[in-house]
Amino acid sequence: MSRAKFKKRPAPGSGGVLGLTGYFFRRSLLNIRQNLLINVLAVVTITLSFLIVSLFLLVFVNLEGAGEIWSEKVQVTVYFDRELNNKEFVALKNVIMTLVGTDTVSYVAKDEALKRFRFRLKGQEALLDGVPSEILPASLEIRLKQAYRTSEGVVAYVSRLKKIPTISEVQYGEEWVRRLNTFLVFMRFAGALLGGFIALAVLFIISNTIKITIYSRREEVELLELVGATRFFIRIPFLIEGMLQGFCGALLSLLILAGVSWAFLNQAGNYLIFNPREAGLVFIPVLFCIAIVATGVLVGFIGSLTSLHRFVDQS
Amino acid sequence: MIQLHNVSVTYQQDVCALHNVSLMIPKGDFVFLTGASGAGKSTLLKLLYAEIAPSRGQIIIDSQNISRLTRSELPYLRRSIGIVFQDFRLLPNRTVLENVAITLEVLGLGRKEILERVARTLKQVGLEQRMHVTPCRLSGGEQQRVALARALVNEPKILLADEPTGNLDDENKARILAILKEANCHGTTILVASHDRRLIASSHKRAVVLAQGEIREVHDESC
Repeated sequence: MSRAKFKKRPAPGSGGVLGLTGYFFRRSLLNIRQNLLINVLAVVTITLSFLIVSLFLLVFVNLEGAGEIWSEKVQVTVYFDRELNNKEFVALKNVIMTLVGTDTVSYVAKDEALKRFRFRLKGQEALLDGVPSEILPASLEIRLKQAYRTSEGVVAYVSRLKKIPTISEVQYGEEWVRRLNTFLVFMRFAGALLGGFIALAVLFIISNTIKITIYSRREEVELLELVGATRFFIRIPFLIEGMLQGFCGALLSLLILAGVSWAFLNQAGNYLIFNPREAGLVFIPVLFCIAIVATGVLVGFIGSLTSLHRFVDQS
Repeated sequence: MIQLHNVSVTYQQDVCALHNVSLMIPKGDFVFLTGASGAGKSTLLKLLYAEIAPSRGQIIIDSQNISRLTRSELPYLRRSIGIVFQDFRLLPNRTVLENVAITLEVLGLGRKEILERVARTLKQVGLEQRMHVTPCRLSGGEQQRVALARALVNEPKILLADEPTGNLDDENKARILAILKEANCHGTTILVASHDRRLIASSHKRAVVLAQGEIREVHDESC
């Protein structure tokens, strides 16, 4: 007698793939409703866990943004003893623009230089009374593209710049560039380390939360096995539930963070000495938000799968 | 047909739950397994629905050695067997209807068909008015009948019942026995583990007496 004997009776299902998919989704939603408390607790735990991740990302994104703004101050200045006429400036600018790493080039005439100096001495402008603009040099201010704002990038750029015959005196604030780069490297390293630890802790918490929700229903799993449910049939509703828990938890964490962030940006100006909205603080980029929600779904799926492996496959 | 050939079950290497048991139950038979607690009644039933495997011997159901079934084939064996557990194993957060429907849901039947068959079976066990309540709101006898309905709803070839009348009053015992006999009349092979001698005597069915894991005697009172 063939082994397929037990497969012949009772009659197979008549709902087809669509009917089965519909059944699994209905069953998952019913399971959530019938085990509401444990599901709510799981979603709250996942929400709080993702809130930590989202908050960390928000701080990190804004620190990166601050680093970006500060790095814009990295510029190379070329000084000249005399004023350049417009034709000379355009010719020189065209040559400099051909150098790899050049972003913008602007000319600062002697008058403009004196004006800036006077602005810096705010309140003591009288010190410059009678001082002619000729004592300050004219200059070209060159802003570099972001990738060339590192110590090594600037040094290499300056050495290329000095090869242009009309250029002799170049300054670029070596100490500032070095400090900025040290800060950015440290921030990224600390961010990656801290982010890694947070991610691991969150994955551990979420995975175990989902395990507890499945463990609390192990009798249901055992019963389904004894009435003839296949492993596939037992697993699918639990996997959908896990993914829904992860999705809801991640989405809720983002909504809460967005609400708190919005309130902070709009209200904190009344209590702090600076207005965070004007300071350029931003929310987590949309792509990161999508990644957080997708991670929630994935962690829910994997958490359920590993728990089911323990209760279904090894029973 | 159910056949057991020299079946032994040993737990933890030295506790012998069943020893060299051989038994043949023809298709459509109604058999009681009786004996004192620990005689091996539940172990024998567990062997038949493959919750445990024999340490030695062969178990043949409908000419198929169930020890040779793979994990993926086991569900299909269990779909042909209805099981009534000693502790009912009803899911507390599902209604009576949903508890009974589980057996049909695993077959992938449509909602309409499930509803019809569940309603019919609940009517058969006298619980059609209680289908939307949860088991915790039912009496012991009613819970037992829900467990019986869950086992019978897919019209199994074999029904295994472990102490289905334990802790029930006489009226409920008679009701359960009547339901089992009706299923038997429709062709289901019934195997009931029970230590209730009065019930066995009143049923006039074959009884296999187990003691210390061995078959001691067989009473054939079928009429």
